[in-house]
Amino acid sequence: MPQVLHPIEQQILKSLLAKENMTVEELVEKTKLSIDQVRRGIEWLKFKELVHVNESQKNFVILGKRGHEAFEKGLPERNLVNFLKSKFGASCEMNEVKDEFKNDFSPAIANAKKNNWIEIHENRIHLKGYHDTTPEEKVIKQIAKSTSPTSVEEINEKEAIDLLKKRPDFLSFSSSKQMTILLTEKGAESAKSVSENVSDPYSRAIDVEAPAPVVFAAKSHPLQDVIDEVREIFVSLGFSEIIGNNVQSCFWNFDALFTPQDHPAREMQDTFYIENAKAMKFAKPDQIRKVSEAHKKGWNYQWQSEEARKMVLRTHTTAITIRTLADHDYDEARLFSIGKVFRNEKVSYKHLAEFHQVEGVVVGKKVTLRDLMGLQTEFYHKMGIKKIKFWPTFFPYTEPSLQSMIYNDKLAKWVELFGMGIFRPEVTKPLGIKNPVLAWGGGIERIAMLRFGLEDVRELYENKFGWLRSVPKCQ
Amino acid sequence: MPVVTLYFDRIQKILGKKISKEKITSTLPFIGLDIEEEASDHINVEYSPNRPDYSTDYGIITGLQGLLGIKLGMQQLHIKVGKDMIKADSSVSKIRPYVTAIEAKNGTLDDESIRQIITMQEDLHNGIGRRRKKASIGIHDLDKIKFPLYYKSIGTDHRFIPLDSDVEMTVTEILEKTETGIKYGNILHGQKVPVIMDSTGKTISLPPITNAKFTEIKSTTKNILVEVTATDKNSAEDILAVIANTLQTAGFQIYSVRISGANNSTLKLKPRDLLLGSEIVNQTLGLELSNSVIIKSLRKSRLDAKMKGRKIVCTIPRYRTDIFGSMDLVEEVALGYGIQNLTPTIPESVSVGERHNVTKKLEAIRLLMNGLGYTEVMNFELISKEILYEKTGRDYSKMISVLDSKSQEHAILRDILLSGLMDVLSRNIHESYPQRIFEIGTVYEKDLPLKEEIHLSCVSAHNGAGFTEIKSVLQSLLKTGFNLECKTIASKDSIFADGRIASVVVNGKQAGIVGEINPEVIENFKLRIPIAGFELNLTGLIFD
Repeated sequence: MPQVLHPIEQQILKSLLAKENMTVEELVEKTKLSIDQVRRGIEWLKFKELVHVNESQKNFVILGKRGHEAFEKGLPERNLVNFLKSKFGASCEMNEVKDEFKNDFSPAIANAKKNNWIEIHENRIHLKGYHDTTPEEKVIKQIAKSTSPTSVEEINEKEAIDLLKKRPDFLSFSSSKQMTILLTEKGAESAKSVSENVSDPYSRAIDVEAPAPVVFAAKSHPLQDVIDEVREIFVSLGFSEIIGNNVQSCFWNFDALFTPQDHPAREMQDTFYIENAKAMKFAKPDQIRKVSEAHKKGWNYQWQSEEARKMVLRTHTTAITIRTLADHDYDEARLFSIGKVFRNEKVSYKHLAEFHQVEGVVVGKKVTLRDLMGLQTEFYHKMGIKKIKFWPTFFPYTEPSLQSMIYNDKLAKWVELFGMGIFRPEVTKPLGIKNPVLAWGGGIERIAMLRFGLEDVRELYENKFGWLRSVPKCQ
Repeated sequence: MPVVTLYFDRIQKILGKKISKEKITSTLPFIGLDIEEEASDHINVEYSPNRPDYSTDYGIITGLQGLLGIKLGMQQLHIKVGKDMIKADSSVSKIRPYVTAIEAKNGTLDDESIRQIITMQEDLHNGIGRRRKKASIGIHDLDKIKFPLYYKSIGTDHRFIPLDSDVEMTVTEILEKTETGIKYGNILHGQKVPVIMDSTGKTISLPPITNAKFTEIKSTTKNILVEVTATDKNSAEDILAVIANTLQTAGFQIYSVRISGANNSTLKLKPRDLLLGSEIVNQTLGLELSNSVIIKSLRKSRLDAKMKGRKIVCTIPRYRTDIFGSMDLVEEVALGYGIQNLTPTIPESVSVGERHNVTKKLEAIRLLMNGLGYTEVMNFELISKEILYEKTGRDYSKMISVLDSKSQEHAILRDILLSGLMDVLSRNIHESYPQRIFEIGTVYEKDLPLKEEIHLSCVSAHNGAGFTEIKSVLQSLLKTGFNLECKTIASKDSIFADGRIASVVVNGKQAGIVGEINPEVIENFKLRIPIAGFELNLTGLIFD
């Protein structure tokens, strides 16, 4: 396929075919394109290896203040001989001209001598022969007549330039980079075919290889995508979603889960309590009575309903799960919830004060710890995680309790992920939950960090457009 | 979770059998310890707060011995009857009523043993002791003390030389000037504080703050007194059971101390029995273990177990305070059997899963907003007063605060999303415009006691952003998404520019606000571009 060229490129190529080694300015004049169009066209052609760009330095000269004076009034040496001739004829005393020429006297004498226009004998100046136009005068005239800075290369009288350079304020020099553009071999061929084919502007093919402007598709937040993926896996495993409030009474967040009222996890330094908020009817009277009895029996203290009434930002989604289980009499169920949970943590690269958690429960007469391990394994397989192992651990409201470790290929190590266990009888019995309840869950941000290769969990909530736009929707 | 440092050479010595480092490292997780850090000569492990007996390497070694099959069954605690006495005075009844103690004799302590014992003491203080409030421990050099001891209350002008000091201080000075005094002084209030004094009138302890300097234990100490004072007798005994067991493992002979007066009595630290049926074990674990395998597994978990009729009777040492009932024993069986020996199974189910109705509708809104060119952002629900109210010039009389937040940026529950979106724009000023973003999330409102609603908010920021554009987005979303028509009625709000803001009314009910952002607000967020946006309450509009 012949390369498709933009009309700008075609114009430039045609011009270059007619004349090699053109400057940008010359191309502007020849093509009648704007300087920006020409520059852009040269960049494209260079990229396609159709032209070669030579960069060279070019020196320019303009007249300085004294140079302008000399152009208008003549050089001091010229003025000296004219003055001598008109006033004295052939010779005069040095002092007679000295006052007339002041500061110009010394250069006038020196240069007139150099030009062989005068001779000096015993302090008298003697005029000699012809006074032709000097190279210096020619150069000054040439520069003065030019409308733009004169290229030093264009001046033939190189010696005169050096001489004028020595005179202060006569000349001023500058330099600039100069580009000259010439066709490459490939470019010459293209240029020929361009000039032979008169293109039809309406059926013109476009350069399909040229880069297009960048646009960004509007999309959901990457963390939301992970949440949706986790949700979909739960649904595919036969789990139904339950939702509930983020603000909960201590009763459902702690008491119903057999967490004693003086437990450190309940302290303000770990849990967010809402200022001036107390739950009115937080549970059924029967639920409250039985839970309080379980606390008295298990932990041997006086349970306070005022403590249970306090409102907290839930520290786990289990607050939602346990209430749903307590309010429904399930023989069998598979439920899950995904939502925000809150901990009074100092926010750092490792910890957030609020994050998302997912939790699934299975209720059934014959469900076992091995089933729980199986469901967990199935969940991970669907997330693309193959290497899994289980370790014992402790959670206050499950017994037995396990934690799962997954092998992360990117980090090349085992990483702790979801925790799991069977709800303690001390939790289920007072709430009238008859069958065993398998539960498992964990933080979503942790999965997202592994997925997106983040080392700082805060990045998920910085909402930097650069990041939001660059994370692939599917990976 | 608390951390314990284990030195391999020490472990290998105390284990009583040469076990490789690798074997030790790979076994630790299976007694429930998390490996925090591994080094060539030591390993740091985290233990769960329900197992305070794992707060020293002695306790961890007891556990390892079981799982490695070196020693099985319960570690017997041998307590010899001692003659020394502590007499409690009724004056402590209302301050800190309980005291109990043991003596540990004829042992030796090296620096590492002392370090282990001190960290155990701190972990017990923080855990069972509830940061010393419920119970606290004093460990003393027994040979420095003249019995009987007296536990009584005393005035705050009482003086003695406390630990970590060389000069005599009054109780008031100790509470105000020493590190532990400042940290735990608030547990004591009133004019009287509890002290333990010996028969010569020397103070040995000011619970729960500090001990006296002169009874401090050193590597030359041979005989130890451990006293525990508490507001709850059971917690005091839980703590002492762990310490007695640890010190016995460390090579000390344990003696009881006679306690009397003001409802106090000598402690016993007797093991207890629980009955366990094999059915609950097998049903819970999904295994078919014989009684003898169950018994062996329990013994590997350092409990005693034997058959009694058709049931297994399990004997639990006093220091295992984490065992409440059968389910806890099931876990002990699982650990003794080895979690790695349990293979996962998939339970049969015919249940069909489903997303919640609210989730489905929110997903639809997300898709529609993307289709309208808006990118989703996610902000925190706890934000700062500055962003939520001050920069937007909003009234904060109904502000909802959380107590004692560790950071000011996360101290207030948001009541709108729009402020957060403005903050996102202000953090992206260097990115190309137009910028169009939205957020869906929970907001909070003061009610009886609190109301939670789900809002949708979006902003469009570019040179041509204006009311008409954003109203188009709003009505398109409601119409295409939910076949709802909306009206916009002139309104007022500090976030929006006067004359460029309207209430959104759907089916005669107010559902949100829409308009051009007030230039002052734009400037407060250090932005320099026109912005228009809306905030819509989805709760009550498209779901309940």
